[in-house]
Amino acid sequence: MANDEYIVEMRHITKRFPGIVANNDISLGIKKGEIFALLGENGAGKSTLMSMLFGMYEPDEGEIYIRGKREHISSPNHATRLNIGMVHQHFKLVSNYTIAENIILGIEPRRLAGIFPVVDIKGTNEKVAALSRQYGLEVNPAAKIEDVNVSTQQRVEILKMLYREAEILIFDEPTAVLTPQEIDFLLQIIRGLRDQGKTIILITHKLEEIKQVADRCAILNRGKLIDVLDVAATSTQTMANLMVGREVDFTVDKSPARPGGEILKVEHLTVKNADGFPVVKDVSFTIHAGEIFAIAGVSGNGQTEIADAVAGMIPAAEGSITLDGTDITRSSVRARTDLGLSYIPEDRQSVGLVLDFSLADNLALKTYYKPPFSEKGILNHAAFDSYGEKLIQEYDVRSGQGIHTVTRSMSGGNQQKAIIAREIERDSKLMIFVQPTRGLDIGAIENIHRQILAERDKGRAVLLISLELDEIMGLADTIGVIFSGEILKIAPADTMTTNEVGQYMMGVKQA
Amino acid sequence: MNTINTLIIDGLSFALPLFIMAIGGIYSERSGVTNLAIEGLQGFGAFVGALAATLLSGFFAASSQVPMFLAMLFAMLGGMVYSMLHAVLCVKFKADQVISGVVINILAMALTTFLTSQLNASVFGAPSNKFVLGTSVRFSVPGLSSIPVVGAFFSNIYPFELVIIAAALIAWYFLYKTPFGMHLRACGDNPHAVDAAGVEVGRVRFAAVMVSGALSGLGGICFAYSISAQFSPSIYMGYGYLAIAALIFGNWQIGPTLWACLIFGFARSAGFALTQALGLAAAFSDLFMTLPYIITLLLLIFFSKSNRAPRALGEIYDKGKR
Repeated sequence: MANDEYIVEMRHITKRFPGIVANNDISLGIKKGEIFALLGENGAGKSTLMSMLFGMYEPDEGEIYIRGKREHISSPNHATRLNIGMVHQHFKLVSNYTIAENIILGIEPRRLAGIFPVVDIKGTNEKVAALSRQYGLEVNPAAKIEDVNVSTQQRVEILKMLYREAEILIFDEPTAVLTPQEIDFLLQIIRGLRDQGKTIILITHKLEEIKQVADRCAILNRGKLIDVLDVAATSTQTMANLMVGREVDFTVDKSPARPGGEILKVEHLTVKNADGFPVVKDVSFTIHAGEIFAIAGVSGNGQTEIADAVAGMIPAAEGSITLDGTDITRSSVRARTDLGLSYIPEDRQSVGLVLDFSLADNLALKTYYKPPFSEKGILNHAAFDSYGEKLIQEYDVRSGQGIHTVTRSMSGGNQQKAIIAREIERDSKLMIFVQPTRGLDIGAIENIHRQILAERDKGRAVLLISLELDEIMGLADTIGVIFSGEILKIAPADTMTTNEVGQYMMGVKQA
Repeated sequence: MNTINTLIIDGLSFALPLFIMAIGGIYSERSGVTNLAIEGLQGFGAFVGALAATLLSGFFAASSQVPMFLAMLFAMLGGMVYSMLHAVLCVKFKADQVISGVVINILAMALTTFLTSQLNASVFGAPSNKFVLGTSVRFSVPGLSSIPVVGAFFSNIYPFELVIIAAALIAWYFLYKTPFGMHLRACGDNPHAVDAAGVEVGRVRFAAVMVSGALSGLGGICFAYSISAQFSPSIYMGYGYLAIAALIFGNWQIGPTLWACLIFGFARSAGFALTQALGLAAAFSDLFMTLPYIITLLLLIFFSKSNRAPRALGEIYDKGKR
């Protein structure tokens, strides 16, 4: 007895994983032709719920109805036959294939070349071009995936669904990898798809996006459905509170900066990539004690390379880097660390942590060679343990087995907390934060923003690199905007509007 | 003039078996399964082929070439069946592909040496560690073969060279032009994409390894017929590894791999020609046999940078992992 109003209806869905109830008795219905958002923090159970709709898991309890008919969706193939498509958070594309080849993978059309049947690439190219025009997703079918940017790759994933005639489109955190302009474009595409009669399910933890496109929104918290809301009639604040389960404070309390002496001085820095091509070109800037200097820019314009060069991860081809009066341009990473440089890297899993080490070992990763951790060349594990205990208390790092937890098994938010605890605790003069809140949920972001400001107020110099413009506008004292390896503009944060920064980021406006 | 002809003729007859083994390797590696087992696969295939030829030769006239073609067929079957060991270990049980490959090589050498001696003693009643094969006839293409220099490519051809060229064309067609080939190459780049497209990754990889076994077996039996006219433990000369080097220099693509094989082939025959021209003792030919390997080392320096292995090569596919 399904409700005719709904194209997808999930009733009393429960899914358990060892030690956790990922979805607890969730019932919801999605109407044909609407944009339905699933909102929740990391680990709230959004992706699990939709994975069941897409046939990647089967529910332990409960029923799924598609177009009023009960279905046991046993595999993604089965879901595809029911005209359900999904864009995963991690794209599933073959990098050395063309866009068209990726789209037809698994359902290749054939033609005869003489007497031999071959895959019909030419016909596919035409069909894909037509499809991409129909939905406003401009792509070149003959371009290789490895040569196109992330947002194009995402469009390919969307085209893959459309080529398979999907009617119900699931997007898992689609904006996590995009720049602000690309996000706008994507949301426009999503609206367009709805207007052409598709049903959209949007999994996200970003409130602004929901506010912009969604018709209705289901809020999940710790595996339970909290509420289904009409987006137009609900404030962002209410949604945030329901999602986190407590009052969320959006405004960052920021006292005016009291800058001190120069801590970091970067002069005429040029950095080259592996091919010898300059990715950072003649960049100069200064950061004072008690100042947050933020570099804004679209991903891949050289900002991470600046951070890596200052931290000593990659060599500077030209120019000089001075930390508190000492030239560190050619110093080793260890020497820079000892001089007072803390680094919270972009890739926390491969650069920030040794994932198969315990939490205690990771927390001592930059001090293990000094007493009390190491005496006369022999490690003192008792010191690791007591230091680890102290840090996880102070910084509220949560994990399954305390300091003995293998960091690989921890959530992204807690991994980041551990790195930040380790780096802050070292009392450095300069703290480098590269995308410190990437992939984290609102609660964790709020917390990290407070810590960054607290570090500034302690009189440390902070270099912040972020792709989130809101984060930069909220935290920075001084903003440098990078475009194509060059810093186009450096100005105090309160003299620039978000719009202006955005224009420099696109290289539209020249200083 | 004559030297150049010999150089081309011998070079080709060495390069082509190498080439077909390398194509097998390309199949396996483009699907994402590292295949160091080519050496063992070609030896085992050659063993099965040689055994079949020895057993069946009695049914044919002494000069008949049929046993040789049967030997090729059985060598392919033997290599294919033996390669399933690698496929089961790597695909089904997700074992380390490098270790599996090395073990398969060692096992092949030990097993075929043992079995050859045992079978010779018990079945044929003549203790020996080799199966003696008839020599293959050779033929020249009338007309074309009398063109200076170029004619050498059409003279004194082993029939197996034609079989290899045909097999290579078929292999090329399947790898680049059919859905199966598309799935196979995609498996070596991003198996998750293949899985998401509803194609079974394990099945594709299993098939790819079997193709590699069959083609290695074919290469092995061709070496047995051309170089030594017998099957013996000397079949394990390291040509399987040379085939791997060739496919790496060929950037895991069939066309460029042919060039790499030709370079190895001509380097080897040039080495022989040089010993003869200089009038050196036969012992020196062993020294010149090292030429292909020295070239391998040199090429490694130049090619390592620009070459790109399949992205998912050697990676065990685990559905759950993202």
